[in-house]
Amino acid sequence: MREILKLSITLAVVGLVSAALLSGVNNVTAPIIAERQESEYREALERYFPDFERFESQQIDNDYFDLIFDSSDRLVGVMATVGQQGYDGTIWYNLAFDGEGKIVGVRIISHTETPGIGDIIATAEFQEQFIGKSFADPLIPGEDVDIVTGATISTAAVITSIRRVVNVVAENFLGYETLVIDLSALPDGIYQGSAPGMVGLITVEVEVAGGRITRIDVLDHSETPTYFIESYPLIPELIIAGQSFDIDTKTGATLSAKGIVDAVQAALAANVGGE
Amino acid sequence: MKHKPSYWQEFTKGILKENPVLVALLGMCPVLGVTAFVVNGVGMGLAAAAVLIASNLVVSLLRNLIPPQVRIPCFIVVIATFVTIIEMVLEAFLPVLYEALGVFVPLIVVNCVILGRAEAFASKNKPLRAVLDGVGSGIGFTLALLLLSLVREIIGQGTILGPDPETVIHLFGADFEPMILFAQPAGAFIALGLLLAVVNSVYKRFNIK
Amino acid sequence: MEKLLSIFFIYIFIDNFVLQRFFGVCPFLGVSRKMETAIGMSMAVVFVMTMATLVTWLIYTFVLVPFNLAFLQIVAFILIIASLVQLVEIVLRKISPTLYQGLGIFLPLITTNCAVLAVALLAVRQEFSLLESVIFAIGASLGFSLALVIMAGIRERLELAEMPDVLRGSAVTLITAGILSLAFLGFKGIITL
Repeated sequence: MREILKLSITLAVVGLVSAALLSGVNNVTAPIIAERQESEYREALERYFPDFERFESQQIDNDYFDLIFDSSDRLVGVMATVGQQGYDGTIWYNLAFDGEGKIVGVRIISHTETPGIGDIIATAEFQEQFIGKSFADPLIPGEDVDIVTGATISTAAVITSIRRVVNVVAENFLGYETLVIDLSALPDGIYQGSAPGMVGLITVEVEVAGGRITRIDVLDHSETPTYFIESYPLIPELIIAGQSFDIDTKTGATLSAKGIVDAVQAALAANVGGE
Repeated sequence: MKHKPSYWQEFTKGILKENPVLVALLGMCPVLGVTAFVVNGVGMGLAAAAVLIASNLVVSLLRNLIPPQVRIPCFIVVIATFVTIIEMVLEAFLPVLYEALGVFVPLIVVNCVILGRAEAFASKNKPLRAVLDGVGSGIGFTLALLLLSLVREIIGQGTILGPDPETVIHLFGADFEPMILFAQPAGAFIALGLLLAVVNSVYKRFNIK
Repeated sequence: MEKLLSIFFIYIFIDNFVLQRFFGVCPFLGVSRKMETAIGMSMAVVFVMTMATLVTWLIYTFVLVPFNLAFLQIVAFILIIASLVQLVEIVLRKISPTLYQGLGIFLPLITTNCAVLAVALLAVRQEFSLLESVIFAIGASLGFSLALVIMAGIRERLELAEMPDVLRGSAVTLITAGILSLAFLGFKGIITL
C-alpha cells in the first residue's frame, strides 16, 4: 500500500511540475504567437492597401472577405481569404483587390502541394501573372494566364479558383457602402451568423426582441482560448449595453473581438434585406 | 569493476561510433520527414538535440529519486515537457521553421533516440556524463540529418539554403532541371538507403566500430 | 458518409502513413523481417491506434479545451497512449491469453511508434469529428499494416538475394521502401477530401 502511494505521489509531483512549467512558458509565448499572427496579416493589408484604415469582414459561402476602407470611409479594396482544393490538400491563399476589382496581390498562406512540382504556385513568377487582372479578363489557362506543364492540376486549380473569386468580388462588393443595420426594423427572433476571427470562424446566435438586441451567445469558435476570454463575454455585453456595434475593441485580442462584432452584424444583416 | 570511459569518449561515441541514425537506425521518422531542405533538417536536428540534452540532464538528476516502477512514465513526462517548450518557443520565435516541421515537432516525444538515451544512459550516470552523452548523440543526430538533407536538397531541388527566396542559392543556374524524385517521399527512402550503404562501406574501410 | 469513405481510403492508399508521411518508420524497418511478426504488429497497431485516437479526442475536446489546457496536449496524449498500451496489455492477458501471446510482445513497442501519436495529434489538428477521427485512425493503421505486410513479403525473398555486403540489411530495405513509396505515389490525386 505504502509502495503504491509512493509511486502515485512521484508521478503526481512530476506531472504537476511539468504542468506548472508549461503553463509558465505558455504565458510568455502565447501573446507573442497571437501578436505575430495578427501582425502578419496586418502587414499584408498595409502592403497591398497603403490607404488602409479599417476593415469589415464578410463571408460568402466558404470564402472570407475583408472590405478595406480608408480614413474617409471610402472602400479602397477587398482582401479575400480562400481555400481551394489542389492536387494534394487545400491551398489557402489571400487575393487582394483594389477598389476597381483589379488584383493587386496574390499571397499563398499555406499549401501541401508536391515539393518540386505543385509548389510552383508559391513562386513569385506564377503569382505575378495575375497582377492587374480583373473580372473583365477571361483568366483562361493558355489565353491570358499560363498553367505550368507537369503541375497542371495545382496551377489550374489556382487559376479556376481565382477566376471564381474575381467574379464574387465584382458582384458583391464593387460600389459597396458601409452596412447600416436599423435595429428597430428587425422582427423579433433568433438569428445566427458567422465571421472570421483571428484563427477561424466565430459563429454567434443573436436574440432580438422589441427592436433591441437582448442576447448574444458564441456558438462556435477556434480562437486562442487564453485570448478569447478577454473578448467574451465582454464584447457581447458592450454591444447589448450600447445597442451599437461601435465597440472599442480590446487591444491584444482585436481580431477576436472584431470577429464577434462582425458575426453579430452578419447575423442581423441577412435579415435587414441585404445591402 | 570495468574501467569507466573518459569524458571525451562519452562525448564522441554518439557522433560516429554509435551514431543514433547512421548506426543504430533510431528516430527515422523526422530523418525522412523533414530533410527535403537543409534548413529544416538542421532545425529539426537542433530541436531534438536540445530536448535530448535537457532530458538527459533532468533524468540523471532525478535518477535516485524516482522509483524504478514508474521510471518510464516519468521520463516520458520529462521529455514531453521539454518538447512542448521547444514547440512553443519555435512557434513564437521561428514561425517559418515551425510551419515547415509541422507535426514532426511534437513527434520528438516518441523519438526513440531520446527515450533510449534517457533509459539506457542518463538514468544510470552522473549529470555531467549524461549531458556529454546528450550533446554527443545530439550532434550525431543533427549530423545525419544534415548529410541527408544536403543530398536531397542539392539533387532534388538544385538549391541550398532554400526554400526561403531571400537566402536560397541556385547551385546550377536557373535552367537546371532537378531530380524531383529526391524531394519526394520515395526519394527520402532511397537517399537514406544509399547514404547508409556509403556510411557502411566508409566505416568498414576505416574500421570504425 | 462520402467524407468518411474518403478519409478511410485516403489514409490507406494515398497518404499512406509509412510510405508517404514517414510515421512509424522504425517499426516498419524493425518488425518487417518475417510475415508472421508483421501481421501480429499490424493487428496490435490497428487496435491501439483506434483506441488511442478515440480516448485522446475525447480528453482533448472535453477536458483540455474547456479548461484552457490545450498547451498540455503533447504531455497528455503521450501519457494516455502509454497507459492505454499498459491497460490493453493487462486486459488482454486476463481475457484472451492466446491473443496476448500473439500481440503481447509488440505492445511495449507501440508506445514509441510515432504513428500512434501522429494520428492522435493530426485528428485534432485537422478538426475531425469523433467519428471522422476514428475512421481516420482505422484507415491510417490499416495503411500502416498494408505497408508492413507488403514489406515483410518482399523482405522474406530479399534475404535470399545476392547483393553487395554494404547494401545488406537496412540499406536495401530503405531503398525497397523507396520503390514501394514510388508505387503508392501513383494513387495521388485520385480522391481528395
